[in-house]
Amino acid sequence: MPKGVTDLSVETYNIHMMIFWWCVAIGIAVFGVMIVSLFKHRKSKGVKPATFSHSTTAEVIWTAIPVVILMLIAIPVAETMVKLEDSRDPDISIVVTAYQWKWHYRYQDEGVAFFSSLARPSLEARRKQSGVDPFAVDNYLLDVDRPLVVPRDAKVRLLVTSNDVVHSWWVPDLAIKKDAVPGVINDTWFKAKEVGTYRGQCAELCGKDHGYMPIVVEVVEADAYQAWVNMRKESVPQVAGTTLAKEQQ
Amino acid sequence: MTTAVADAHDHHDDHGPAKGIGRWLFSTNHKDIGTMYLVFSLTMFFVGGLMAIVIRSELAIPGLQFVHPEFFNQMTTMHALIMVFGAVMPAFVGLANWMIPLMIGAPDMALPRMNNWSFWILPVAFGILLSTLLMPGGAPAGGWTMYPPLVLQTGDAFPFLIFSVHLMGISSIMGAINVIVTIINMRAPDMTLLKMPMFVWTWLITD
Repeated sequence: MPKGVTDLSVETYNIHMMIFWWCVAIGIAVFGVMIVSLFKHRKSKGVKPATFSHSTTAEVIWTAIPVVILMLIAIPVAETMVKLEDSRDPDISIVVTAYQWKWHYRYQDEGVAFFSSLARPSLEARRKQSGVDPFAVDNYLLDVDRPLVVPRDAKVRLLVTSNDVVHSWWVPDLAIKKDAVPGVINDTWFKAKEVGTYRGQCAELCGKDHGYMPIVVEVVEADAYQAWVNMRKESVPQVAGTTLAKEQQ
Repeated sequence: MTTAVADAHDHHDDHGPAKGIGRWLFSTNHKDIGTMYLVFSLTMFFVGGLMAIVIRSELAIPGLQFVHPEFFNQMTTMHALIMVFGAVMPAFVGLANWMIPLMIGAPDMALPRMNNWSFWILPVAFGILLSTLLMPGGAPAGGWTMYPPLVLQTGDAFPFLIFSVHLMGISSIMGAINVIVTIINMRAPDMTLLKMPMFVWTWLITD
């Protein structure tokens, strides 16, 4: 699990590690007691078995301890989840629509929209008996023709939905895995703090090419982002009164 | 007169198992049915295991070597359904059939004829499920959880998938009823609930 490049991805990572260490501690405690008991109270030492069948004290203890541990886990988790769900006041809003088997991104205010599909080299190499060595392909199955481009330090809201079956938009470095459900718009957000290329995949079985619809997010500086938006606008033929031309890209 | 009495007295049937296939088809004996469950489970384990070999062979190195993605998804879906409903659950029920009557001092399961039905539904259900591999559109490939809308893209296999999974459900519900009724009603005198072995308790709770 990567620490990722957003504040919330770091928080998510820390929660994961906290719960992991709780599990380690519980494992050591439980198996420790069990091993010591088996060793110290074995029959060959002449230990007489206990005959009681009920102990209120023991029941209170084994109920109270898990309740306390669960509270210690639940409180920071709830705090982080509240932040994860708060997608208000974004700098950029992008509608992410899943298709069998590609992604479509529409920037709500910039007038930019495009499909993002598996990159050509991967597409050729992935065919059965293609004769192309996948190891020779850069970022095999993790590269797209047109990545999602966003500026650094901007709050990006994603409105995730689907055109056909359930998909899931998953980018580990952003700590986002959001289901794309037809007829439903799920929202989430991220604010990447580092410039870079972050890769992900569809995370909900969506048919035969489920493994061939990766996600690439390019985080760039604000001016580079603006230049990219202008470039995209120019490269798209403008048809008055319709966004259809843009979407057909 | 005396001969008649002696005749009646000597008129014992042979209590050995029935001969031939009938012994297994019509059995109400909990050990025979338990054995059939275990053999069926092992068979399905190998069938599901073959599919796992297809899956892992394809995944061994990047790129596609052996199968197409659509058949790969059929393998994962069928592997899961077969392992869950055809290998794991019948193995448990087979052990329950063998062990529970012995452990609680019962002569057989409470509902022996239903026991026979619970088992014999399974080969029919899995016959239907496996036959979908030969149907137009192939076997189910939307994952064993069968989520719509993806599962609606299954080809001709769709109604057969639904029917076979329902049959599996009917079989396991009948098996569960049998185990619960046996444990509640057929314990030997003085075998109270708290004296029951752990194995029997796990069955009473999980059923």
